[in-house]
Amino acid sequence: MKEEALKVIEGVLKEGRKNMVEYEAKQVLKAYGLPVPYEKLATTVDEAIAYAGEIGYPVAMKLMSPQILHKSDARVVVLNVKDPEELKKKWEEIHENARRYRPDAQILGVLIAPMLKPGREIIIGVTEDPQFGHAIMFGLGGIFVEVLKDVTFRIIPITERDARRMIKEIKGYPILAGARGEAPADIDAIVDLLLKVSKLVDDLRDYIKEMDLNPVFVYEKGAVIVDARIILK
Amino acid sequence: MQAEIAEQLKPFFEPKAVAIIGATDKKGKVGNVIFENFRVNKERGIFKGAIYPVNPKLDEIDGYKVYHSVGELPEGVDLAVISIPAKFVPATMEDIAAKGIKAVIIITGGFGELGEEGKRMERQIYETAKKNGIRVIGPNCVGVYSPDTGVDTVFLPDEKMDRPRSGPIAFVSQSGAFAAAMLDWAANEELGIGKMVSYGNKIDVDDADLMDYFTGDDSINVVTLYIEGVKDGRRFMEAARRITRVKPVIALKAGRSSYGAKAASSHTGSLAGADVIYDAAFKQTGVIRAEDFEHMFDLAKAFAQLKGKLPKGDRIGIITDGGGAGVMASDAVAKFGLRMAEPSEETIRFLRERFPPHAVVGNPTDVVGDTDAERYRLALEAFTKDPNIDAILVIVLFQVPLLREEEVIEIIGDYARRSEKPIVAVAMGGAKTERYAKMLEERGVPVYPTPERGVRALEGLVRYSSYLRR
Repeated sequence: MKEEALKVIEGVLKEGRKNMVEYEAKQVLKAYGLPVPYEKLATTVDEAIAYAGEIGYPVAMKLMSPQILHKSDARVVVLNVKDPEELKKKWEEIHENARRYRPDAQILGVLIAPMLKPGREIIIGVTEDPQFGHAIMFGLGGIFVEVLKDVTFRIIPITERDARRMIKEIKGYPILAGARGEAPADIDAIVDLLLKVSKLVDDLRDYIKEMDLNPVFVYEKGAVIVDARIILK
Repeated sequence: MQAEIAEQLKPFFEPKAVAIIGATDKKGKVGNVIFENFRVNKERGIFKGAIYPVNPKLDEIDGYKVYHSVGELPEGVDLAVISIPAKFVPATMEDIAAKGIKAVIIITGGFGELGEEGKRMERQIYETAKKNGIRVIGPNCVGVYSPDTGVDTVFLPDEKMDRPRSGPIAFVSQSGAFAAAMLDWAANEELGIGKMVSYGNKIDVDDADLMDYFTGDDSINVVTLYIEGVKDGRRFMEAARRITRVKPVIALKAGRSSYGAKAASSHTGSLAGADVIYDAAFKQTGVIRAEDFEHMFDLAKAFAQLKGKLPKGDRIGIITDGGGAGVMASDAVAKFGLRMAEPSEETIRFLRERFPPHAVVGNPTDVVGDTDAERYRLALEAFTKDPNIDAILVIVLFQVPLLREEEVIEIIGDYARRSEKPIVAVAMGGAKTERYAKMLEERGVPVYPTPERGVRALEGLVRYSSYLRR
C-alpha cells in the first residue's frame, strides 16, 4: 500500500512539483484500496481512442496538467464523448484550450474515464493544522459545501465510531439517509472511505499537506471518487 | 508518563518549603501580597510548609527571616515563586537550578508578550529549566490557588477579590485576568474551587500537564479549562483522552472566529479554521465544549454536585408547577438535541390515581399552581422509577401559595440522593428563590435560574455519558 503510493509521490516530487494531478492523486488513492473509476492516461490521440474503446463509449476526457488545477475554468474537461470522431475533435479542442489558458502548461496526457452514473455527491478532504496535525473533513457536495459550509472535521487518525458520527453530524444527513422517500445511500461505503483516507494520511503524513476528494458519488451500493487532488508538502 | 508528570507538578500544590523571591514589606506590591497569602494561610494552619522570603535589601518581614539570595536558602525548598523584574529572572533561574529547586512559578510579566527581547529571555529560562528538570508555571501569570493546601500566589489582595471556598472543581486558565475574575465570581456563586492554575505565557507547564496532574487528584472531580491556544495539539489530545476516562473536562475556547481561507490551496483547507479543528479534537477526546463562561460553570456545577452520577440516555422527564416554564424546558430539550421521555403507562396510572383532575400528567408533568410538596414527591417517585426516563428536570416556582418551601426542598434533596438518575432543578425568581436554591444546592442538587440553562446542563451530562459508553 504505502510503497506503491510513495512511488507515485516521489515521482511527482522528483519533478519539483507539489500539486498532484487528478491521475496521480487517484493512483495514490487506489494504492490504499479507495474506489476510483477504471481510467487510463492517454498521451496520444490513438492511445485515447484505444482506451475509449476498451472502457466503452460514452467517455469523459480530462486533460492533465500540473499548471491547470481548475480544469473546468480552463475548459479542458469534456463529458459524454460518444465516438472516435468526436474524441478526435475534442482532443484538439482541449489541447487548444489548455494552451490558451496557460501557454506554459506542461501536458501529461488526457485521462480517459467512463461516464459515471450520478449518485449523491459528497466531499471528503484533508487539511493540516499547525497544532493538531492532519484533520479529515466530510460533507455533502455542491451547494451544501459551497454555500452552507455544512461540513465536519476530525483529527486523523479516526475510529469507525468517529466516522459514523461525522456522517450523522452534518445537517444534510437526511439526504444520505433517504429523506424524500429515496433509498438510503450506502453509509458503510462512506465509513470505509473515511477510514481508508485516515489510514492513508496517517501513513503518509510526512508527504501530504492537503487533499480534496470532490465530488465522490455515493450510490445505494458503493461509492466512487470522481475527482481528486492532493497537495504535497 | 501521567504518573511522572503528576509527581513533577506536586510541589506546585503541596510544597514542603516555598521560597518567595521578591517578597517585600511594601503593602500592595505583588511580592507582598503573595508573601502575605502564605503567611496568613500558615497562621490559619492551612499551609503546612516552610516560608522563606528572598530579597537582597531586607532582613526581616513580619518576623520572618529574609534571605538575601537564592544561594543562602536552607536545603529542602521545593517551590520557588518569583516576582522580581523580568531582566533578573534568567540569572535567578540559574541560582534556582544550582539550589536544586524543581518547581518554579514566575509571576513576573514583561516577557514574550512584549517582544523579541522578552522571547529571548523566555527561551533562556526554558533552557535552564529543561537542562535541570525544573517545571515552570508562567511567566506573566497569576499562578496557583489551592485552598486546601494554602498555596495562593494570586497577587490580588483579599479586600479586592473574594476567594472561593474549596470544592471539587479545578480551573485552568491561560489568562490571569480571567482567572482572577472567575475566582471572585465563583466565591459569589458559592462554587467550590479545589485548584486554580493560571499559566500565562506557558513556556513549560500547560493544559496537557495539568490534565495529567488532575487525573490522579482525588480532590478534583471536574476540570474546567479556559484555552486561548494549545501548543501541541497531539499531546493535548492524549492527556484529554486519559483524564476524560475518569472525570469530565469542560473547555471554553476563546476565538470562535476562524482563520480559514488564509493561504489554503485546497477546498478543505479553506473550510478549516482553528475553531472547527478544536471542535474536532474536543469531540474525539470527550472534552465538553462550553459556549461561554456561564455555560462552563453551569456544567461544572452539574458535574461537581452530581458527583459522577450520569444519565444512561438522553430522555428527559420534566416536572413543573408552571405550564409556561414546562414549555420553555421542552423547547430547550429539542434545541439541545435531547429527547422528551415518554413516561411509562405505570407512571401515568400512578399519577392519574393520585393527582387532582386539573393537574397535567405526562411529560412535562405539571403539578400546577395549587400544588403542595406532596405532588412533587409523587411525581419524583414515579419519574425516578420509570425506565423510560434517563434524567429529571424539576422546575419549582417557589412563589405558588400552598407550597411549603422547606418541605419540597427536603423531598427533592432526598430523591436526588437516593436515585441513580441525575436530578437537576430550576428555580426562577428573585432573592427569596435564590435562598431556596442555595438550600437545594446544599443537598447536592444543581439549581439553575432558567429552564434553558438547566436543560443545557443536562445536555452536557448526556454528552459526556454518551462518550463514556461508546
